[in-house]
Amino acid sequence: MIRGMIVDDELNAREELATLLADISDIEIVASCGNAIEAIKLINKKQPQILFLDIQMPVIDGFELLSMIDEESMPHVVFVTAFDQYALKAFEEKTLDYLLKPIDPERLQKTMAKIEATLQKGSNSQHDSLQLSRIPCARGHKIKLIDPQEVELIHSDLTGVHVFTAEDKYFTELTLKVLEQQLGLLRCHKQYLVNLQHVVEITTLENGLAEIKTRSGQQLPVSRRYLRSLKDAFHL
Amino acid sequence: MELILQLLQQLSIFLVIAYLFSKSPAFKPLTEKQLSAKNKLLLYFIFSGFSVLGAHFELPIEGAIANTGVIGAVLAGLVAGPLLGGVVGATAALHLFLLNGVAAQAYILATSVAGLLGGLANIYLLLNNRSEQVFSPVVAFVATLAAEALQMLILLLMKSPFSEAWALVRVIAIPMVFANAVGSALFMSMMRDRKTMFDKVGAIFSAKAFNIADRSLGILSKGFNETTAKQLAEIIYDETGVGAVSISDGKKILAYIGVGADHHLTGLKITSPQTKAAIRDNKVIFADGVNEIFRCALSGNCPLGAALIVPLRVDNEVVGTIKLYEPRNKLFLNLNKALGEGLAKLLGEQLLRDRYKTQKSLLVNSELKLIQAQVNPHFLFNALNTIIAIVRKDADQARSLLLHLSKFFRKNLKRSGDLSSLKEELEHVNSYLVIEKARFAEQLQVVEEIDAEVLQIRIPTFTLQPIVENAVKHGISNLLKGGQIKISAHRIGRQAKVVVEDNAGLFCDKIQSDGLGMNIVDKRIKNLYGNQFGVATECVRDQATRVSLLLPYDEREL
Repeated sequence: MIRGMIVDDELNAREELATLLADISDIEIVASCGNAIEAIKLINKKQPQILFLDIQMPVIDGFELLSMIDEESMPHVVFVTAFDQYALKAFEEKTLDYLLKPIDPERLQKTMAKIEATLQKGSNSQHDSLQLSRIPCARGHKIKLIDPQEVELIHSDLTGVHVFTAEDKYFTELTLKVLEQQLGLLRCHKQYLVNLQHVVEITTLENGLAEIKTRSGQQLPVSRRYLRSLKDAFHL
Repeated sequence: MELILQLLQQLSIFLVIAYLFSKSPAFKPLTEKQLSAKNKLLLYFIFSGFSVLGAHFELPIEGAIANTGVIGAVLAGLVAGPLLGGVVGATAALHLFLLNGVAAQAYILATSVAGLLGGLANIYLLLNNRSEQVFSPVVAFVATLAAEALQMLILLLMKSPFSEAWALVRVIAIPMVFANAVGSALFMSMMRDRKTMFDKVGAIFSAKAFNIADRSLGILSKGFNETTAKQLAEIIYDETGVGAVSISDGKKILAYIGVGADHHLTGLKITSPQTKAAIRDNKVIFADGVNEIFRCALSGNCPLGAALIVPLRVDNEVVGTIKLYEPRNKLFLNLNKALGEGLAKLLGEQLLRDRYKTQKSLLVNSELKLIQAQVNPHFLFNALNTIIAIVRKDADQARSLLLHLSKFFRKNLKRSGDLSSLKEELEHVNSYLVIEKARFAEQLQVVEEIDAEVLQIRIPTFTLQPIVENAVKHGISNLLKGGQIKISAHRIGRQAKVVVEDNAGLFCDKIQSDGLGMNIVDKRIKNLYGNQFGVATECVRDQATRVSLLLPYDEREL
């Protein structure tokens, strides 16, 4: 059984695709959702092999979503769209396939054949994703997009990943690893990323540890393992 | 009786001279209402001349003299007031004195008094708002009659012995009083006729100008080309009666009518150096045919001799020429020169207005087409995709959605008229929203608060749906849950307010920087109804976006 996942902001569209897939292929839909935030969470959790991804979605579109997924969890992607074939051209080589809405079952069959062949080869999926230019954070019913420049530090704990700006604190579904790679933040601790632009003070402690103070006065620890790279960054 | 005839004979000579004078250009100032100092001086010489001449032709009768010298003084007073009348009278008196010495003292006094009398009549008429009677022959008759009677009285009083004076007056009184009064009246009537003629010429000129303006107005709004130029040329040719009329676009002849049409052909390039100069220097060139001859560059046998070449200007840029011609054997009337120049100005103004109007409507049209072309393909394919999914579960709903979809597109393709009723616009919006609601399910709630009385107000076609679509596309569809769109329409006095509001408040930047074409909607409403109406946008970040249309309530379909 192939493990599939559908992301589309429209319930009817998700249901239709799931029905079509059930008819023609040996695929199990392990998750399906209507926006990028949920999608990141579910991809990390369910690790689908194949992702049917709508391009036009609220706040964060399909292309951007790809830049938020951890490489290790990255599924093969089939874009599903109503009218974005021109935009898709740029992504064509890197994506497995794309489908146009309304979805033609025969076309879908070809796509599934391609998927099965790719999965049998066992090749890894690779996407030339966009540079992440904003961090999606959930806030009630809305998605707040944080400008990476404003981020002072990012901290992960058991409850999830927290983004700190000078004024506020947000929760994000993105992993620390993706944020580190995509945003150019420096890892200073297993659970911390820091934005060097906001560092005003580094206090070295005993045992090769250190502490960083940010412009707004927030403090975060530096572990022994990452002290060297921090010093390098400041040419110390 | 013989004396009367002699006096009348003498008067006839005067009248002939006066008639010839009235035909000369020097007469024209006399007919003007406000006399300038220069013209008053001219009048002084004219009337003094009459009086002096009259005295010269005096007829000696039994030791007395009968003459017509009073006429000049009375008329001068009548036409130009007591001052001039007095001065003319005094001049005539001085002349009499030089001629006859102190012996003529009674005549000297009487002539001076006559001028004053005419002047008093003039003041009386002006004070009683009867200035038009200044040129009345009856008034002149009466005034001269009175002046002559006065002269007789003065003769009786001043000449002694009385018996001698009485004998003289008995002989000359009736002929002099009668002949002078008649002569005065005739002279005045001649002046009045001339004056009327000048007024008439002025009136004809105005009438012609109005006629041309009236007939040509609107022709140019169909564009400046061979067809409209031909129509214009015909009108000008008709109304001015010049030898030929030509209209060019600054490079070639667009229309030519009249003498020389055999070689001034439509479509030919402009060749005459005078026309070229008019276009190049952006100035009127007038070859009057006397001092400067118009030279046709097309043919050596061209009969044209005089030409007025007026550049047609739009915003001070020469876009063509209007030319009036006369053949060599005809004088180019000043009247037509003034008409031609005025006309070119008028037509230029009209071209400018039309250019502005065309630009304005072109702009609005092209922008409108842009909006219409923007019918979102996403919307179409997503709608179809949704309906395909719904067919599996609920065929009736799918059918209803298809009907709404076709209604929506039919309305989008229909481009009849610039205005729709609010009701029609709301139907369009409704078709759109039914489909979007099917797509977004519980994510999209729609609340409508429409007052029935505003359903018939007139609103520019295609205004409301794009605003609602913006609220869905940029507002609600970016909410993860709980989107609401509120559409309301109310009457506020003589205005109607239509408001579309969403609870997302997510496109403040876009709507305020006018990324969404609200300016075009605003422009359309202002073009239609004036600047007090239009579009207002408000945005509270993360809470609400509100677009309000302010429209006239009075503009309803009844």
